[in-house]
Amino acid sequence: MTHTGLATDRLSLAYGDRIVIRDLTLQVPERRVTSILGPNGCGKSTLLKALARLIVPTGGEVKLSGKTLGAIDTRALARQLAILPQSPRAPDGITVADLVRRGRTPWRGFLAPWSEDDGRICAQALEQVGLQEMVDRPIDELSGGQRQRAWIALVLAQDTRYLLLDEPTTWLDLAHQLEVLSLLRQCNRDHGTTVVAVLHDLNLAARFSDHLILLGADGLVASGAPDEVVTEDRLRQAFGLDALVVPDPVTGRPLVVPR
Amino acid sequence: MKSSILVLPVLLLGAVLLSLMIGQVVLSPLQLWTGLWSGTGPGALTLRVLRGPATFTAAGAGAVLGAAGTIFQILLRNPLAAPDVMGFMSGAGLAVVAGVAFGISLPLPLLSAAGGLTAAVAVALLSVRRGAVMQSSLTLILVGIGVSFLASAASSFLITRMPPQEAADAQRWLVGSLAARSWQHAAQVCGLGALLLLVLALQVRALKVLELGDELAAGLGLRPGRARNGLIGTGVLLAAAGVAVAGPVPFVAMMAGPLGMRIAKVTAPGARLCAAAMTGAVVTILADVVARSIVPGVQLPVGVMTGIMGAPYLLWLLSKEAEAGEL
Amino acid sequence: MKLHLGLLMVLAVAAALTVFVGVRAAGLADVSNALLAFDAADPAQVVIRSVRLPRLVAGLIAGAGLGMAGTVMQAVTRNPLADPGLLGVNAGAAFAVVVGALVTGYSDGGMIAVLTFPGAAMAAIAVFLLGGARHGTAGPVRLTLAGVALNALLLSLISAIILTRSDVLDAFRFWATGSLSQANARPLGLMSVSLVLGGGIAFLAAPRLEALALGSALARGLGSRPGRVQMTALAAITLMTGSAVAVAGPVAFLGLIVPPLSRRLAGHVLRRELLVSAMLGAAILLLADTAGRLTMPPGEIRVGIMTALIGAPAFILMVRRLKPGAFA
Repeated sequence: MTHTGLATDRLSLAYGDRIVIRDLTLQVPERRVTSILGPNGCGKSTLLKALARLIVPTGGEVKLSGKTLGAIDTRALARQLAILPQSPRAPDGITVADLVRRGRTPWRGFLAPWSEDDGRICAQALEQVGLQEMVDRPIDELSGGQRQRAWIALVLAQDTRYLLLDEPTTWLDLAHQLEVLSLLRQCNRDHGTTVVAVLHDLNLAARFSDHLILLGADGLVASGAPDEVVTEDRLRQAFGLDALVVPDPVTGRPLVVPR
Repeated sequence: MKSSILVLPVLLLGAVLLSLMIGQVVLSPLQLWTGLWSGTGPGALTLRVLRGPATFTAAGAGAVLGAAGTIFQILLRNPLAAPDVMGFMSGAGLAVVAGVAFGISLPLPLLSAAGGLTAAVAVALLSVRRGAVMQSSLTLILVGIGVSFLASAASSFLITRMPPQEAADAQRWLVGSLAARSWQHAAQVCGLGALLLLVLALQVRALKVLELGDELAAGLGLRPGRARNGLIGTGVLLAAAGVAVAGPVPFVAMMAGPLGMRIAKVTAPGARLCAAAMTGAVVTILADVVARSIVPGVQLPVGVMTGIMGAPYLLWLLSKEAEAGEL
Repeated sequence: MKLHLGLLMVLAVAAALTVFVGVRAAGLADVSNALLAFDAADPAQVVIRSVRLPRLVAGLIAGAGLGMAGTVMQAVTRNPLADPGLLGVNAGAAFAVVVGALVTGYSDGGMIAVLTFPGAAMAAIAVFLLGGARHGTAGPVRLTLAGVALNALLLSLISAIILTRSDVLDAFRFWATGSLSQANARPLGLMSVSLVLGGGIAFLAAPRLEALALGSALARGLGSRPGRVQMTALAAITLMTGSAVAVAGPVAFLGLIVPPLSRRLAGHVLRRELLVSAMLGAAILLLADTAGRLTMPPGEIRVGIMTALIGAPAFILMVRRLKPGAFA
C-alpha cells in the first residue's frame, strides 16, 4: 500500500441497512482523470461520497497522503479536496459570481475579509469554465450546460488538488456532456488536478479518463486503464450486458456497442 | 436586478414617524420635534410615555421576528417555514403563560427562550420518520403546525385557571399585543435583538454555504449539522426575544423575509436577513398603527392586524406555489 | 350490531356523566323528578333542567354533527387531515354570526340559527377552491395549509370584532372559542332538526359520495355526476357543521379524530361510518366536556380547549402517517 494520494483500505460502506461496498482496496492515481462506473445501485456515488468523507465507512478507511480521512481537520480537507454532488440546487436568484465566491469558504478565516487572492482565483475559475461574461447573471437564467459549468467553477475556486464529481453530466445533452468532460480534462492538464468522477456513459468515460474503476453488484470488477477495464467479459460481469467492444474510430479508445 | 436596499431604511423611518404621529390625538412632526427637544407639551408626553416605547418595541420585535423567519426560510428552502407557522412562537408563548400561571419568577426572555427551544426540539423529533433518509420540509412544517395547535390549546387551558383580570391580559398578550409597553420593553428587545443579530452575522457565512446543500457544504469544509443547529438556535432565540415583549404575533416572521426580498431586490442571505429585519419592523409598526387607530377609542392587539394581513398572504403564497408545481 | 350496542352504551355513560356530574352531583331521584315531575323550587332539579339537560342536548348535536361532517369531508377529499374546524368551516360559521350580531345588534339564538349556515357554506366553498379542489389537485398538504390560513384570518377577524364591541358581543365570548356552557341560550330544537336533515342527506347520498372518493373520472364511469354529488356533500357538511357551531361554537379537532376511529370500527362503508361517527363524536364531546368541568371546579375548561388538547397530538400523528406522495 502506497502512502501517497487518495486510496481506500478494506473499505466497507452501507446505505441505511444495506451494505453496498465490502472490503474495497484501491488507489486513485495521482494527477489523472479517474471515472467510477457501474450499474445503478452498485454504490458508485456512495464510494465517491466516502472518498470525500461525506459518509462514514462501516469498516476500513479512506486515506489521503497516508492519513485517515476521519483524522483530517474539516477545513484542511476542504482545502485539498473538493466535491460537487449530483444535481445541486442553487439558492433562488443567486448570480454566477455569488455562487462561485462561495467556493472560497475553506480558505477564508473566521472573520477574514474577501482578499485579492480570493478575487483572482474566482476570476480564474470563471475564465476556465468560460463564464467570465456572465458573472452577474442569475443562475436560473443560464442553460443547463452553463449552469453545470458555474457549479464546476465553484469547486475550481476551492482550489484543491483533488476534484470529485458525482455524475456531472446527468441531465445534459451530448454536446454539453462533451463540453463538461473536456473542461475537466483541461483542468487536469493545466493544473495537474486529480479528477474523480462518477459517470453513467461507458463510452464517454472510456474516452475522457486515464483510469477506470468498474463496480458490479458484488463490488469491484476491475480497475485500470480504459482498454484493460472495458472488455466484453467485464461488461458482462458488471452489467450483465452482452456487448461488442471495438476501438473508437476517433480516439482509438474502447467503444461499447450493445449487441 | 439592481438591489435597492436603501428603500427599507426610508420606509422604516416613515413608519416610525407615522406611528409617533397617529393615535387618539394626531400630532404634527413639528409638535414631536419640539416635544423631543423641549421635554414639554403633548409631543413630549407622546414621545416619552405613550407612543415612543410602543413604537420602538414594535420595531425591535418586528426586526427579530423578521430575521428569525428568514433563517428558517433559507435553511428549509420553503417560504412557509417560519417560527410562527412551525409552533416555536406558540411554544415560547406557552412557556410565558405557564410561568405566570405557576408563579415562576424567571425573566420573560428566559422563559420564552426555553419554550421556543423546547418546541423546536419537539418539532424536530416528531418529524423523524422511520425509513426516510431526510425528512421533507413540509413534514417539518405540518408537524410544526400541530405543535402550534397543541401549545395554543395548552396556553388556553392554563389561562382558564387564572383570575379573570390576569386571564384577560394573558389572552390579549397571546394574540400579540404592544399595549402599555414601556422603555424597558423596548430596551430589552432592542438590546437582546442586537446581540443575537451580531451572533447571526457571524453565522451568515455558514448559512451561505449551507444554502448550497449539505453535501457541498461539507465539501467546502463546514460541518453541516453543527452549523445548522447553531443557526436554528439563533433563530429560535430571536423569535423568543420578540415573543417576550410582544407575545406570539402571528405572520410577521413569515411575511417579512419574502416581502423584504422583493422590496430591496436582494438575494444573498446576509442582505436578505437585513431586509427581513427592517421589513419586519415596518410591518409590525404599521400593523400596530392600524390596530390602535382603526376603531376610535379601542386599541386592538397588534396580532389581530398581522393575522388579518398575513392570512391572505399565506393563501396567495399557496396559490402561487401550486402554479409553480411546488406543493 | 354488537358494535352499535357497545357504542350506545358508551354514549349513554357519557350522557349520564353530563347529567349527574357537576359542581353539585345530582342523584337519580333529582334527575327523574326533573324530567317527570319538575319542581321549580328544588335547585337541584332546576340545575338539571335548565343547565345540564340543555348541555347534554347541545353536546349530542355538536358531537354528532362535527363527527359526521368530518367523516364526509375526509371521504370526499380523501384527506386524513380534513376537519371542519381545521379547514375554517367552523370559523366561517362563527364569523357570520359575529358579523351579523355586530351589524344588527341582536345576539339571540335566532340570529345564530339564521347565520351559521351561510357562513359555514361560504367558508367550505372558499377553502376547497383555495385548496385547489377545482383543479383536482387538493392534496392533503395544500388543503390543510389553505385551511390554516383561512382559519387564522377568520379567527383574527372574530377577535377583532369581539374585542372592539364587547357590549354587544359579550354573549359570544365563550361561544367563540367553543363551549357548551351557555347551551340553554342556543336554539337547540331548531338545530337538532337541521342536524337530522344534514345527516339524512349524507346518509342517502353515501354511495355516491363513496364513488366520488374514487376520483371524479371513475365516479363518472360509475354513473354519478361529480358536480351534483359535490354540491350534495357541501349541503350535508354545511347543515351538520352549522348546527354544531350554532350550539357549541367552533369546536375544532373533533372532525379530525372521529373519522379514523369510526373507519377502524365500521370499515370502509360510508353509511356505517356515519352512524358510528355520530355516536362516537357525541360521546367524545360529552366526555371531553365533563372532563373539562371536573378539572378545576367551580370553573370549567371550555370543551374547545379539551378537544384541541386531544386533537393536536392526533394531528401530528396523522401528519406522520401521510404517505410521501401526499407531499408531492
